[in-house]
Amino acid sequence: MPPPLRCTASFPSTCAKTLCRAGQSRRSFSTTPQQDQRITRNRRQLFRWLGSQGQNFLNPLNGSTNYLGAYNNEGQLKRVVEASAEAERKRKKDAGKGNELAKDDAPEGAEEGGGFKGKIPPETTRDLTPFPLNRSFVSQPVLSDEFREEIWKRVMQDGKSVREVSAELAVEMSRVGAVVRLKEIEKEWEQNGRPLAKPYHEAVMSMLPKTPFDPDSKDKGKPHESINDLPVHRKTGTQIFHPTSESRHFTREDAAKVFDERLLPADLRVPHPELAEMHKDYKAGLSLEERQARQKERDEIAERKRQRASAKKAKQEAAVKKVDTGRVEFRFTEISVDDAGKDGRGFKGVGWRYGHPHMDRSRGTVKIPTSVE
Amino acid sequence: MTRKRFHGLKRVKFRATWNKYNLFNLSRLKAPRTDFMTYYQQKWSAKSITRAYHGEHIREGQWERMFTPLLNSVIPMDHRYLAEHDGSEQAAGRGSGLEKPLDLNKISFGKNQIPYMHMTYAPIERRLDTAIFRALFASSVRQARQFVIHGQVKVNGKKIPYPGYLLNPGDMFQVEPDRVLFATGAPKIKVKVQAETRLYERRISKQTNLVRSAALAKAAQRRKAKEAKELADDTIELVPKQRKPRVELGDPESRKLRQKELLKVIRQIEDKIGNKKIRRTAKRKQELRALLRRARATLIFIHKKPVEELEIEIKEIAQELLGFTENLEPSDKTSPKRLKSEEEMDQKQKSALEAAIARIRENPSDTTKPYATPWRPRPYMSAFAFIPRYLEVNHNICSAVYLRHPVARPGLAEVPTPFPAETQQLAFNWYLRRR
Repeated sequence: MPPPLRCTASFPSTCAKTLCRAGQSRRSFSTTPQQDQRITRNRRQLFRWLGSQGQNFLNPLNGSTNYLGAYNNEGQLKRVVEASAEAERKRKKDAGKGNELAKDDAPEGAEEGGGFKGKIPPETTRDLTPFPLNRSFVSQPVLSDEFREEIWKRVMQDGKSVREVSAELAVEMSRVGAVVRLKEIEKEWEQNGRPLAKPYHEAVMSMLPKTPFDPDSKDKGKPHESINDLPVHRKTGTQIFHPTSESRHFTREDAAKVFDERLLPADLRVPHPELAEMHKDYKAGLSLEERQARQKERDEIAERKRQRASAKKAKQEAAVKKVDTGRVEFRFTEISVDDAGKDGRGFKGVGWRYGHPHMDRSRGTVKIPTSVE
Repeated sequence: MTRKRFHGLKRVKFRATWNKYNLFNLSRLKAPRTDFMTYYQQKWSAKSITRAYHGEHIREGQWERMFTPLLNSVIPMDHRYLAEHDGSEQAAGRGSGLEKPLDLNKISFGKNQIPYMHMTYAPIERRLDTAIFRALFASSVRQARQFVIHGQVKVNGKKIPYPGYLLNPGDMFQVEPDRVLFATGAPKIKVKVQAETRLYERRISKQTNLVRSAALAKAAQRRKAKEAKELADDTIELVPKQRKPRVELGDPESRKLRQKELLKVIRQIEDKIGNKKIRRTAKRKQELRALLRRARATLIFIHKKPVEELEIEIKEIAQELLGFTENLEPSDKTSPKRLKSEEEMDQKQKSALEAAIARIRENPSDTTKPYATPWRPRPYMSAFAFIPRYLEVNHNICSAVYLRHPVARPGLAEVPTPFPAETQQLAFNWYLRRR
């Protein structure tokens, strides 16, 4: 059952006349459903709303987002109403003091009745809610064009690692990678002369909140997003009563052990554990050179680990015998009969086995691929 | 049985579309009153309204298989805290008087709670069609689904015709830009006119012959009066009706290009005049109208005048139009009425002019396209324009990357939904049964 709907506006209809033109059907006895939309109270309300409060949403608001949550029931921008009330209060206060000069420097927020001159005040979180009843969903800012260009420059031209750039600019590592990937395609299109959807891009960017990139600003602004998000592990969902002695130095590692033997502590499960390490060095009072040397050491260890992993992968790849026919590439891997196990049902076993039907023909199996390479 | 309306006003369902009916319904959405309902009824109604928004095109059984009671969430950690504390400070001093008593007044309840219940429909956000809609490439989930089925969508460079493909973190999906422009652009005006005439004809056909002839006579009279008025007003028609032998001075291709540019400029001026939101003085309005007249006059002589002259004319008009955009507040009386030639302009003005002309070239009018050209966003789009954080979108190439599965964090949930937490919780409980 839909929620009870109450009328938001109570002033009389203005467009009833235009809607009434359709008139009555000549055949009152006909059982055919009328194709014309009849004028009901709801439709009248809809058109009244579209003509009054709904007008705000017809076109994008210049230089601002334009969500339902930013407007009050009268169809006025809440922040403009507040700013104008504030200005009014200030003016009254100054008038009480007999200060005539104050009139000029009152912010040109608004006049009465929602019409405003000059700049609209910046949005607050409330104004960024597209669904007024759901305060938990906020339209969060996207990266501005300059920001994306900068990320691409730092990764592709300056040769910095994704991890470094992510920590410098406070952008998630996966996002840094995606930005670079998409930028590369964009540049390729430009090079090939394939037209970009520029007008669409500009229109969308004008409707969204953005994180600007300005390296010159002192306070560095708000970070784009939190980069050290600790995923809540399923094992930590249970409440555990774990008695331990008062004198015991019970750390995060111990707590993780209590939840699960194999659960790593939070320090190692965050995406940027190296930031905490660097801060530890800083707190220990090491000089800049020492800190840099230690960081370099850590980087080298990580690099060696990465190389070992890639070498292992390359070795595995080399074990596959490849025959390229031009049309397809056949790949042969060594298979042992014993992989099927003693009972012949081990999951590593391949091929058709007696008594085990192939499942790919059975009813209800989903044939949609689960991943695309 | 007649089909139920998708965007009804009476039996209201909230849909994942950019439709104006939907916007109106969302604007009058109130928290449901549940005090007279049994728990079962509450759950049923909550599931019913939430499912109409979240994947209404997915069969119930299919969704029930997708549903999981395990909801993803993250806690943002401060690396400074992790470095300075090892966690033992949480328990330090317990029982020896160092522990501070719990002050209930100082705790802010609910402010930093993780809105887990809003994550009920998170598995649906993983579907390819929903992700396309969330990336603002389609105006509804159903349209996104159609794009996928029609083979207009690629995942990691491969055509994937399955709207139910579940994206994996790191998957990139691309939609054909022309389809995106069609889905998000304003509808072609011609289509609207046709629909209106059809409606008019239908209305006419309903009336008796007598009434119809009277109406037709009236319409003809009105048309005549309008024409007479236009002649008196010496307003020049947009497109010249009679074709005269054109004077060949430049090649027709370049003229066509100029014509397109001029049409674009005219359209911009008309938009400006039509935009009642910006307050203008009467004088400014007059100037705009004069500019429009001048542009239209130039359009008529597009095949007669020499190309160089046309070029200058277009540039001047564009420049003047640019002047309107730059200073919205009433200009002083000393502002130059005379137009500057290109030599007189300073570097800034020149670059602005070039940018304006480039913009016109970028967004040309093209009658072959299925959307209104020059492209502009469709009405009521801005109220629905948001991009959740689990996507990274590049609108220039109509491509996006699915970064990770949506998560909840203290105070914020990443699944866009119009419903309050209570409704979501009831829906969650509905799907929790038998499990």
